Amino acid sequence: MKIETNIFDFDEGIHLENGTKLISFKLMVETYGELNQSKSNGILLCHAFSGNHHAAGKNADGIVGWWDQLVGPDKAIDTNKFFVVCCNNLGGCSGSSGPTEINPLTDEIYGKNFPQVSVKDWVNSQKMLSDRLGISKWHLIVGGSLGGMQALQWAISYPDSVNKAGILAAAAKSSTQNIAMNEVARESIRKDPNFCNGEYIKNNKKPKDGIKAARMLGHITYLSEQHMDLRFGRKYQDESSKISGDVDFEVENYLQYKGEKFSESFDANSYIIMTKAMDGYDIASDNKMLEENMKNIKASLLIVGFNSDWLYPPARGKEIQIAAINQNIKSSYIVLDGEQGHDSFLFHSKKYSKAIKNFIES
Amino acid sequence: MAVEISKVIQDWVPNGSKIIDFGCGDGTLLEKLMKEKNVQGYGVEINDEKILSCIEKNVPVIKLDIDFGLNDFELSNFDMSIMARSIQCLKNPNIALEKMLSFSKTCVVTLPNLGYWRCRINLGIGKMPVTPDLPSSWYETENIHLCTIRDFENLCEKQSITIKEKFFISPKNKKGIMSSLNPNFFATEGVYLLEKE
Repeated sequence: MKIETNIFDFDEGIHLENGTKLISFKLMVETYGELNQSKSNGILLCHAFSGNHHAAGKNADGIVGWWDQLVGPDKAIDTNKFFVVCCNNLGGCSGSSGPTEINPLTDEIYGKNFPQVSVKDWVNSQKMLSDRLGISKWHLIVGGSLGGMQALQWAISYPDSVNKAGILAAAAKSSTQNIAMNEVARESIRKDPNFCNGEYIKNNKKPKDGIKAARMLGHITYLSEQHMDLRFGRKYQDESSKISGDVDFEVENYLQYKGEKFSESFDANSYIIMTKAMDGYDIASDNKMLEENMKNIKASLLIVGFNSDWLYPPARGKEIQIAAINQNIKSSYIVLDGEQGHDSFLFHSKKYSKAIKNFIES
Repeated sequence: MAVEISKVIQDWVPNGSKIIDFGCGDGTLLEKLMKEKNVQGYGVEINDEKILSCIEKNVPVIKLDIDFGLNDFELSNFDMSIMARSIQCLKNPNIALEKMLSFSKTCVVTLPNLGYWRCRINLGIGKMPVTPDLPSSWYETENIHLCTIRDFENLCEKQSITIKEKFFISPKNKKGIMSSLNPNFFATEGVYLLEKE
């Protein structure tokens, strides 16, 4: 598989939904496979809240991409046939413009001053990337969770630029519960003494404990009760592999480990920006509003929900499907069991991969 | 679905209409209607493998249990709904009929006839009918609300549902003379076009 990782600079800048403007910005972009001559085989992957541009294959550090189970040669999203593109979203912390990058206006690190971006801003910046790549119409735009919101918004914002949209484990708005969970996570970050009101980089500090606790909570919401039961049960952690003396159960050790690892690589301000973008997305204040917003969609939709997902349960996808039917949009809605809860969208299963493959190639 | 039945349904479906097919299976009928009658079609199905076949055929499909899912379409507006050989599997066929005719102008229903003479012979000798058309044993069948042609037409009358067209199928899927003369005795399946003022 041909993998390329590049930075794209956009000196023209971008107007953001909150009224501010980034006078210039950059996107970290990874591509897989090759664009055909008619530029009709492009597939854009939109990443979820903590994802980045590295979606498939192994990078230089040996890290496997977040959607490697479904993206690659002969996989559901077949890089032998399609030119697959994924970029780190604005406000992220993997190389695109975001809180850890330099503000060209001040030559200082943005830190807490990076503007609040939105799902629509991401879609607009991805459209600029599409124009740069010369892709006027994507064969497919697809994403799970927050990525699914982007795929849906693409179909709404740029109806002529999307042939098919895959909306996986997603919703037309964040629920009250989603917002509540995110707020607990953000609060743990803000209350970390090393957060320094968002200016931790300037102060040579890192609010690792806050990010860690936030991620531990997040992880619980991504998994299903059944999956946790099967995977960890009430097993006690071996003394030899305990992360800390406070740990009794395996599940505690797992969360400690995942949280710790995440806190080393993820930025606190990014965490706040990304979750705020997720909370802020709402194209469905009521059903009528959702239909009104969706009325210009020309793309075919595939909406996938997972029964074990309680963060974005299948009913959220069904709302989009019903609105699609009422607006005469060609749209399918399927529900799979998915053992891993909300995270199910990341993992290969026979039916899931087949659904995506059939949708792409039909 | 028998070729005869799908032909009849195809004749009844208006060109360019918006239809929903409850229990659409692998999407064969919808695919045909989309191609030949230019319909905007949606299928409803519960079986995953069949759903995947629909997606492969580019037939829009919704995974729902019809028994619970009918409510989801209450605010929708279809020209026609189709329920082929599914109504006898539902918990409340009478309510299902009312609902379908509330969100679609017309409705096509096909159902197996328990009054078919071979069924009667089975019952006559004290057994639940097992025929080529109703091959499952009583303990395995999904058909929890079987009825005769007469029963069904009585229900339509009781619910003030107009039978605009009907068509009867004999064994081997032929439109036989006998099944037209006395469908309640000779038809294996009834196909109805229904409407409610």
